[in-house]
Amino acid sequence: MRVTKGAQIVTATALLALAVAACGGSGDTSSSSSGTAAAGNAGAVRVEIAEPQHDLIPGNTTETAGAEVLNALFVGLVDYDAEKKPYNRIAESIESTDSTTWTVKLKDGYKWHNGEPVVAQNFVDSWNYTANGANAQEGNYFFGSIAGYDELNPGEGKTPSATTLSGLKVVDDKTFTVQLKNPFSGFPTMLGYTAFSPLPKAAFESEGKLKADFGSNPVGNGPFKIAKPWKRGTDQTISTVRNEEFKEGKAKVDAVDFKIYTDLATAFNDLRAGNLDIMDQLPPEAIATAKQEFGDRYIEQPSSGIGYIGFPVESGADYAKNADIRKAISMAIDRKTITETVFSGTRVPADDFISPVVAGYRQGACGEACTYDPAKAKALFQQAGGDKMSEVVIGYNGDGGHKEWIEAIANNLRTNLGAKVTPKPVEKFATILDDLGAKKWTGSFRMAWIMDYPSPENYLRPQFGSGGSSNYSGFKSKEFDDLLTKGDAAKTLDEGVKYYQQADDLVLKELPYIPVYFYQTNGAYSQHVKNVKIDPFERIDLFNVEKA
Amino acid sequence: MGRYVLRRLLQAIPVLLGTTFLIFAIVYALPGDPLQALAGEKRVDPVFAAAMREQFHLNEPLIVRYGYYIRDIVSGNFGTTFRGLPVSTIFEGKFQVTFKLAMTALIFEAIIGVGLGLWAALRRGKWEDKAILAFTLLLVSIPTLVSGFVLQLVLGVKLKQSTGLALFPVAGVGDGMRSYLLPGFVLATVSIAYLTRLTRTSLMETLRADYVRTAIAKGMPRRRVLGRHALRNSLIPMVTYLGADLGTLMGGAVITETIFNLPGIGQQLFQSVYLRENPVVVGIVTVLVLIYIVANLVVDLLYAVLDPRIRYE
Repeated sequence: MRVTKGAQIVTATALLALAVAACGGSGDTSSSSSGTAAAGNAGAVRVEIAEPQHDLIPGNTTETAGAEVLNALFVGLVDYDAEKKPYNRIAESIESTDSTTWTVKLKDGYKWHNGEPVVAQNFVDSWNYTANGANAQEGNYFFGSIAGYDELNPGEGKTPSATTLSGLKVVDDKTFTVQLKNPFSGFPTMLGYTAFSPLPKAAFESEGKLKADFGSNPVGNGPFKIAKPWKRGTDQTISTVRNEEFKEGKAKVDAVDFKIYTDLATAFNDLRAGNLDIMDQLPPEAIATAKQEFGDRYIEQPSSGIGYIGFPVESGADYAKNADIRKAISMAIDRKTITETVFSGTRVPADDFISPVVAGYRQGACGEACTYDPAKAKALFQQAGGDKMSEVVIGYNGDGGHKEWIEAIANNLRTNLGAKVTPKPVEKFATILDDLGAKKWTGSFRMAWIMDYPSPENYLRPQFGSGGSSNYSGFKSKEFDDLLTKGDAAKTLDEGVKYYQQADDLVLKELPYIPVYFYQTNGAYSQHVKNVKIDPFERIDLFNVEKA
Repeated sequence: MGRYVLRRLLQAIPVLLGTTFLIFAIVYALPGDPLQALAGEKRVDPVFAAAMREQFHLNEPLIVRYGYYIRDIVSGNFGTTFRGLPVSTIFEGKFQVTFKLAMTALIFEAIIGVGLGLWAALRRGKWEDKAILAFTLLLVSIPTLVSGFVLQLVLGVKLKQSTGLALFPVAGVGDGMRSYLLPGFVLATVSIAYLTRLTRTSLMETLRADYVRTAIAKGMPRRRVLGRHALRNSLIPMVTYLGADLGTLMGGAVITETIFNLPGIGQQLFQSVYLRENPVVVGIVTVLVLIYIVANLVVDLLYAVLDPRIRYE
């Protein structure tokens, strides 16, 4: 039966081939994609990123990976200097007499990658698009302070009564005005954020509708332009090349490749082997060795995040309602040891509600309350009757790597205050948030805040203002709200900061949250590059990076 | 035989339905709101959440949602992720990467596993045999996670740092087939051990059979006895193992692909579970089940080639 056997072999082989073909998914397009994954520019500076969650659209990007890429492709009205203050980039001037109506004038000479000039209409189009609730852009909420926002975002089940922000008016090609709902002196500080980037005419199919492929092949106005379209979910590299026509001059390197990694440890190994040039966040377990291995090429600087222990001051348990006990708890926390050992130096002890990355931060503003002093803490705790109160519960989400530091704090409180402490893990952070909203959570809880825009106001109002969007402690103070309003209405930024700091002092006295640590950026770069700087948004200053 | 294949393929349908439903139910039963995962630690915008629930039928009962899903699958549509990307786009190229990885592993397995197994069987009881058994014990006892990182560090990073030789890329698929050598070997390690032992036992069994003794007694050359009579007849368990292992390797590539940053489905599966991209998870598992079913069918058909006594009617 040799013939039959031959036939069987053929069938089996055919089936195997079929299986192979089936495995290729949609086999017709896959060959090109594996090609792009392999390629990338020879000689490009290679930067590690995670996979951006959305296509490359500024208004839809609020995570750091996408922002890193967009920062190379787009420039906005302002940027931030070493003092964390905004300076004008495309903007010639951003002025207001009452902090409510702002007139923005643009500089000449900025061009889109397709050669068109950057005009006022580009900003208005882009902002209208992002602010429109119907477009479901992640950066939508940034526009909440502009007049007309509510009409575009009427809430669930209602249709918007407008398609554009009534607060935006184009005066001429180089000028537009912004009308805010309330006075806000810090408005210019917001404008450097990715969501406020302009979009070119070429981005739009028709008015208010973005082209489907814009996000994979964006036309920007920045120092780099996209080298070939990026297929999200498929390509492992986003390649960009220098924009030779950039108004501010040429970037120092020809090309930048953003390489997508899912695992930081793997990326770090690639960096060590010289297959990667810049990482702006190292895996925590590598920090200790990285300091030695990279020497001058190791970067350590504060980032915008703050970690807290929060208390429901209105609806919580006895200990949560008592400001003295909150202070005693704060003083009993050994921040230095926790940041150095539990976090292996990837965090630094916090001493203010305002992060060191924004103007307005004062070193040691928290004073005694954030200084480790077990003896004083215990005395205060007992004086306030803490030892007679119920056990201290600290809630945290078990999925986010918080167990260790919460346990460390629990031990601090047990040893130093003699308090009964129960760390209480929950599945998801949202569970705690929901329970807090429903006033069902009476214990303390872990909390963190990362800024939306570099203004001290952003660390205060959302978290502690009456009706603040993230006010989970339920803290309410008219005096505090008034100080913020004064700060918003101030004529200049500096004057505004003064009021914000007074408001800051107020919450530092009341301690609805206890600041525990500031997040840190721990990066490193290879011998192939030099002059690597990272801004407060954790974006790499790619314009000034040089080949070594 | 055509009828046999058809029957097997028809049998695959209930298997496929059953497994996808299980996966579907498990994935959606995971605690935590997938929409919350989109917003990180911030609250999801209620308007946005409502629109998403509508679009993904999240308010419907599980069985209804499953119905929608099957309807889409039948029409060749794997759906979209919560982040607005067609799942089929995510599949593009990814199965290829994983398949290349799994094939590399399979080749390592076949060559090293069968080779060592043969050697051990022929040197039965001698020190070579014992050394090979000890070696396989070592292989099974090292988790992929450990062997992966150690080999990556030693052969990828340290070798490059000390000699400048980039023989084995640390991560990614930028170096063509070379990129798959190290991860392929890591993925194969545990299977190599099993296959070695399987080959050894199976061959030793056959070597004791009467016809082998007869062949040797007839004065047949040793090479021919081994290749033609002993090896071929002990192949069936090995082929079974290799065939079933292809499915296992493809599904088990999660850790290896993550360590070596290979853009395959294993890495995607890991990411998608982490990000709660349920449509992707279910889609990937559906395809994996399909591959498993086909691989098993191919193995069954290969039996007839190896052993003419087996017939499919």
